[in-house]
Amino acid sequence: MEVTLRVFRYNTETGRTKPSFDSWTLTDVDPTDRVLDLLEFVKGYHDGTLSFRRSCAHGVCGSDAMRINGRNYLACKVLVRDLNSTTITVEPIMGLKVMKDLIVDMEPFFESYRSVLPYMINDEVPADGKERLQSEAQRERFDDTTKCILCAACTTSCPSFWGDGKYVGPATIVNAHRFIFDSRDQAAGERLEILNEQGGVWRCRTAFNCTEACPREIHITQAIAEVKQAINTGKVD
Amino acid sequence: MTTTTANVKPKPNYEATAWKWMRYSGVLLIPLVWIHVAIQDVIVGVHNIDINYVAMRWANVGWQVYDILLLAFAFAHGMNGLRQVSFDFFTSEKARKNLSWVIFIAWIIISFIGAVAIIGGARLNLLNS
Repeated sequence: MEVTLRVFRYNTETGRTKPSFDSWTLTDVDPTDRVLDLLEFVKGYHDGTLSFRRSCAHGVCGSDAMRINGRNYLACKVLVRDLNSTTITVEPIMGLKVMKDLIVDMEPFFESYRSVLPYMINDEVPADGKERLQSEAQRERFDDTTKCILCAACTTSCPSFWGDGKYVGPATIVNAHRFIFDSRDQAAGERLEILNEQGGVWRCRTAFNCTEACPREIHITQAIAEVKQAINTGKVD
Repeated sequence: MTTTTANVKPKPNYEATAWKWMRYSGVLLIPLVWIHVAIQDVIVGVHNIDINYVAMRWANVGWQVYDILLLAFAFAHGMNGLRQVSFDFFTSEKARKNLSWVIFIAWIIISFIGAVAIIGGARLNLLNS
């Protein structure tokens, strides 16, 4: 099949300081090709200056989140046939500063992520001196949010985040949820305090964009609601 | 086996209270608005509503309370929504705080004026004179 690929371009090194789109008509595209394959093809055979992030190319590293035909996807996970269109428009994810073509500055995203202490905090010595046991149900409680790969597809699809860069965003709340509801962790209170602040969970307006955008199919809006409930009730079990 | 069942509830703040208010007022608005719509638009009908009907309605303490609640909750719900949306345009902490107060005071004043009007009722004798 023939596909027209439109890609957002911005590159101060080559003097393209005014954001614009470049377009290529690609023939012999297989419907099962991924958008990343098309980008790689263009970069390899048409324009070597085209810049985008990619690493594992198998939906695990979370490097290549992009806005494709108006929706956030991982370029390595979305197939051409799934887009139901012969014109594919690729733009950088929204709400973060564009550095070059499809590459955005991820630092504000990671700064927000770090703010909720996304690591296990427990200074007590385990009962047997070796490990902290957990029942299946206790593990299941936060299983969904362990799947996050920090690709930022959710946060950059969130209208509250677009409007207010101070909002921590869905990905940060998901990663806080992962530890808040972990029976082995002891810093849930601290995290809930942080998320109760002005830029925290109360900025979420349940638009559900995050849930739709997540390439890992995490029930993000539900996770945010559970954190809201934990703040209201103080219960994290 | 360790468990975190201890209560870790943060102190409620303005944001948390506003969020809860949005939910509670939303739930209360469902019966208030639907009953209002059913009576005014379906049972009585908009074309049959005149000053006599309003006077009759506001002569009843129950309807006075009902209409004041409807006004206060609907207006608060809307004003809190406006506050949330305006935060997209005002990013400084100080501006947001001031804006929240302005909206809150506007809500109090308008609700108060509305309540005075409802309690005052429609004075048919004044209209007829």
